Amino acid sequence: MIDMKDISKVYENGAMALDHVNVHIDKGEFVFIVGASGAGKSTFIRMLFREVLPSAGSLIVNGQDVIHMDRSDVPYLRRGLGVIFQDYRLLPDKTVTENVAFAMQVIEAPRRKIQHSVNAVLDIVGLRDKYKCFPSQLSGGEQQRVAIARAIVNHPALVIADEPTGNLDPDTSWDIMDIFKRINADGTTIVMATHDKGIVDSMKRRVIAIEDGHIVRDEAQGVYGYED
Amino acid sequence: MKISTGEYIVRETVLSLKRNSWMAFASIGTVAVSLFVLGMFLILVLNMNRMVASLESQVEISVYVLDEVSEAELRTLEERIASMQGIQSVKLIDKEKAMERFRERLGDQQFLLDALGDNNPLPNSFEVRVIQPDMVRTAAEAIRELPGVETAKYGQDVVEHLFDITRLVRLFGLALMFVLALATLFIISNTIRLTVFARRKEVAIMKYVGATDWFIRWPFLLEGIVLGCFGGVVAALALRGVYRVIAVKIYDTLAFFPLIPENPFLHYVTAAILVCGMFIGALGSTISLKKFLDA
Ligand SMILES: Nc1ncnc2c1ncn2[C@@H]1O[C@H](COP(=O)(O)OP(=O)(O)O)[C@@H](O)[C@H]1O
Ligand SMILES: [Mg+2]
Repeated sequence: MIDMKDISKVYENGAMALDHVNVHIDKGEFVFIVGASGAGKSTFIRMLFREVLPSAGSLIVNGQDVIHMDRSDVPYLRRGLGVIFQDYRLLPDKTVTENVAFAMQVIEAPRRKIQHSVNAVLDIVGLRDKYKCFPSQLSGGEQQRVAIARAIVNHPALVIADEPTGNLDPDTSWDIMDIFKRINADGTTIVMATHDKGIVDSMKRRVIAIEDGHIVRDEAQGVYGYED
Repeated sequence: MKISTGEYIVRETVLSLKRNSWMAFASIGTVAVSLFVLGMFLILVLNMNRMVASLESQVEISVYVLDEVSEAELRTLEERIASMQGIQSVKLIDKEKAMERFRERLGDQQFLLDALGDNNPLPNSFEVRVIQPDMVRTAAEAIRELPGVETAKYGQDVVEHLFDITRLVRLFGLALMFVLALATLFIISNTIRLTVFARRKEVAIMKYVGATDWFIRWPFLLEGIVLGCFGGVVAALALRGVYRVIAVKIYDTLAFFPLIPENPFLHYVTAAILVCGMFIGALGSTISLKKFLDA
């Protein structure tokens, strides 16, 4: 699913965010990317959907060569991925349904299919009864569930999340992790950057630890391993 | 493109124009003013071109004949000129006719001619007209070469002077049109920039979920085209009105002035203004979007 070889990223200002990183992630895996603030987690995540272009190395995501692809192919790479952020990034003037449907409209999905798929994912994230609400009428956890629904509505093979529980209290974070577990159980690969020691330690999934742009640890059933 | 996509684009465009209605209003107004002035110059330049052409076509060549040419030779010469390429008509003005005209022109100062007695110093001449104005020069030059012809003149100075003026107006008009087109472009691209900025979150999400550049671009492009088109409509309506008023005034006072008739001229001008407005609108939004989409 992800094949990263000797990937480095140097930002325009000279900051070295990743330094010769090698990672292979198989289809169906559930992987945590952990590390202190500034370690390079977001850079890692953002390269996967080509928001950040690596400076060197090779990167294959979902069978596509991310580095050498045409600009015009980027949308098609992203259609195979679902992206989730810490700050939800919902459209405030659209309802729950509209926010989720938006992800299908803009890739020109047929209308009948949109209706059906939106209802289905709202069931998965447990927000069927709030479909008419606007984001401002929802709690943080509910908003993140809408964002997850939007990320998975096009049935991506890979879900990428950058600190999705960063703004949520522990209980709500667990609700979110439950949804991720279920999505993963259906065969969707999940890569999640996080700071949350509690979650990482109790999930017992693969953990990749980054420090100053280097991978310092990659364990199949790892723990967070830091005190911060 | 799918029907639902077309609907989406139109809906988004209308929504955006509504949301920024005062901004849209202001830019349509400015675009209209720019296009109006642009159109005025277009009309002015086209009319001047026509005026020059019509003056040119009225230009006669005066062919002065040497005194030693006999009556019979005069007839032959007339025929030779008439048979030349591009000549419309040849009219003989003999010495007597010339003197008659001269007298008329002098009016109550005819006493000036008394000193001449019975002498008539005026030469025989021909008034030659050409079929097309651009033939004047070559025809005059060819006639000058004929035996018995002293010289052939036409209103070189007037025509060339007029040419100079038109060239100047045309140049100035073009420069002004260019500046105005740039201003219009600037206004539209700024309006679209604001719209894009207002919708940057939406655009960012569209990119994350895999919308193509063209899908993102269309509503903004359409918005730019609509702004340009509306501005163009206002400008064209104003131009038509103004032209009609001016046309009436000119026919009343300067009937000879060869103003281009309204029909179909004004339709062409309208079409040109609309196309120009829409093109500038499309270009303006493309410019605003470029940086945004490349990011
Ligand atoms: N857009 C950027 N321009 C310049 N430097 C950046 C940019 N984004 C991140 N960095 C730098 O790269 C390093 C890694 O940042 P990031 O990937 O955001 O880490 P994390 O998500 O683990 O906090 C940091 O030193 C950060 O300052
Ligand atoms: Mg980060």
